[in-house]
Amino acid sequence: MSRKHGSTSRASVGALVERFALLGAWLVVIAGFGIALPGSFLTWQNFAVMFASQAPAALLALALIVPLTCGDYDLSGGAVVTLAAVILGVLNVVHQQPIGLALAAALAAGLLVGVVNAFFIVYVRIPSLVVTLGTASLVTGFVQWFSDSSTISGLDAGFVDWIIVRQLFGISYAFYVAALVALLLWYVFEYTPLGRRMLFVGKSREVARLNGIRVDRVRAGALITSSVLATLAGVVYAGVLGSADPFSGLNFLLPAFAAAFLGATSIKPGRFNAGGTFIAVYFLASGITGLSMFGIPLWVTSAFNGAALIIAVTLSQFARGRAESDLG
Amino acid sequence: MLACAAGWLLPALALADATADGIAHAKRQIDKHRAKPVFVAPGAAFDARQCAAGKKMLSIPNSSANPFLKGIIKREIEVGKQLGLTVQEWQNQGQPSQWAQGVEFAVRDRFDIVNLISGVDPKTLEPQIRAAKVAGVKTMTSHFYDPSQPQNPLVAASLPVGFNAIGKLLADWVILRSNGAAQIVVIKSSEVPPTEPLLRGLHDELAAHCPKCKIVTEINTGVTEWATKIQPSLQSTLLANPGVNWVIPIYDSMSQFVVPAIQITGRRGKVKVATFNGTPFVLDYVRNGEVDMNIGESLDWIAHATIDGYLRALCGLPVPKDIGVPFYIFDAGNVKDAGVPAQFDQGYGSDYIAGFRKLWGLAQ
Repeated sequence: MSRKHGSTSRASVGALVERFALLGAWLVVIAGFGIALPGSFLTWQNFAVMFASQAPAALLALALIVPLTCGDYDLSGGAVVTLAAVILGVLNVVHQQPIGLALAAALAAGLLVGVVNAFFIVYVRIPSLVVTLGTASLVTGFVQWFSDSSTISGLDAGFVDWIIVRQLFGISYAFYVAALVALLLWYVFEYTPLGRRMLFVGKSREVARLNGIRVDRVRAGALITSSVLATLAGVVYAGVLGSADPFSGLNFLLPAFAAAFLGATSIKPGRFNAGGTFIAVYFLASGITGLSMFGIPLWVTSAFNGAALIIAVTLSQFARGRAESDLG
Repeated sequence: MLACAAGWLLPALALADATADGIAHAKRQIDKHRAKPVFVAPGAAFDARQCAAGKKMLSIPNSSANPFLKGIIKREIEVGKQLGLTVQEWQNQGQPSQWAQGVEFAVRDRFDIVNLISGVDPKTLEPQIRAAKVAGVKTMTSHFYDPSQPQNPLVAASLPVGFNAIGKLLADWVILRSNGAAQIVVIKSSEVPPTEPLLRGLHDELAAHCPKCKIVTEINTGVTEWATKIQPSLQSTLLANPGVNWVIPIYDSMSQFVVPAIQITGRRGKVKVATFNGTPFVLDYVRNGEVDMNIGESLDWIAHATIDGYLRALCGLPVPKDIGVPFYIFDAGNVKDAGVPAQFDQGYGSDYIAGFRKLWGLAQ
């Protein structure tokens, strides 16, 4: 009896360590760079700058975990980021339309991409990887045509001001947009029946269906939500840059997936979760910021991202006895 | 005591002299490129229409999504029409396999010239260029090599650009505007071949003419990583080095990630930006005060000079040693000449058009 109790308590300590390992690793990174670079790394301004400038990446990573929870990949997220930014730029700067109208058009376009993804994935039953790979390419082509492959600067000053210049506690509003979305997703995943249904659908579609869950509706909703959140990421990205270009959003896709998978090793290990994803984005950003401050070549930062992901997922797997993973 | 003071004072005076000399030198160089560009004939007059009659040229850009290169080809097509030279673009998405297909297409369709524009390295296409040569198709490059770099031996002719001179000009601007006391961050992409001569020029000029200038760090990012790497790494560098007062993104499209990094770190007005390419949205940054200076080239002038040089090569005439398109400095004082919003070809004057027409024997 006491042996059983001992092993249970060891397991619960292990689970606790696993839950907060990433947060701990983040604190260790902060402490390490803080000791090495107290005057520059360990300043409020450094964290304020990092929190704001990583907001688009955080939003995209949060967008991806919604369909991932339901077992679907959304590879069109990066293209939708670019689509939203370019629609804002072309309508607001080139066609001199009010920023409100440009924002509405960007949102409508993002919604449309989500609906198209959902139609082909859920109704036609084509794997999500194939469909979203196709829509990503389609959207990228459209964006190049729509923007004439050119970067557009000079977005509405009030809009840029709202996203990046105005601050609360020294941090630009861009960060709070991402933080609010993270809170909202955390609440939905943790405390609503919808969150539970999404989880069941992701674990086993057939079992979920037999339990009366409208699997298609849940999956479609997740894909549309992902596109809308990616649109929001694009809007914030355009605000952070003050411009829109037809290519750069695409480069955020793989780091965002890395953050989503890294986040799934903490807080709620084994599940895509908003808190873990949010921490993962800023853990990776902290490492890269510290390395940059040391003047270390940028290839090291790519290696840091990749190594952090593989090590975290590996440690997480060992922590639960190398059980089959539900992720991916 | 006196000897001690002299020992301290003399080097300080020498440094002040060297700094003043450096600033005067920089001003002379800058003034040359602030004046409206003047057309200088790249060679003797020739009957370009006769040379071009019935000939075909396939222009392969580094990527058809690049508006700078697309703009050059669009203008080459127009210039070609005036001379009877058929110019066609090989549309591609920047993949070397697509460039190879382009050269093979040129051989199959009996083109006379394959034009590799800015960024298509002949080294990556040697088997195709060799096959083209055997088939009588001449492969030429423009806006790719620096005059100091040897051209690939398979290339029939090349029209280099003075990237080294651009580097020197960027250094001169920074020396002049910082009063010889610049703490600089350079943003570069070493994978792009023109980067090496450009940076060599920048380093040499600073070493020769600015004893108090210092390159604090060079941030090297691959072209595909500009969006994800430039802004965060520059932010970190600015926060870690409060003395930095200049950023030189060597290609101006990097500026869209440089400007927000300066703004978000609260260094606007304290950190200035000088860059190269003359891309319209960056000229808009110059107008808004977010970028201090941008060195530009006229696309239409490049198109004229490319066709002029290639036709000379095709018809056995001496080929100019470089493309000969002047570099023009845009700053707050003249950037409105580029248009509002800025356009690719505005602000450079147009006397080169009359110059080339006269050279080619066309009616004025």
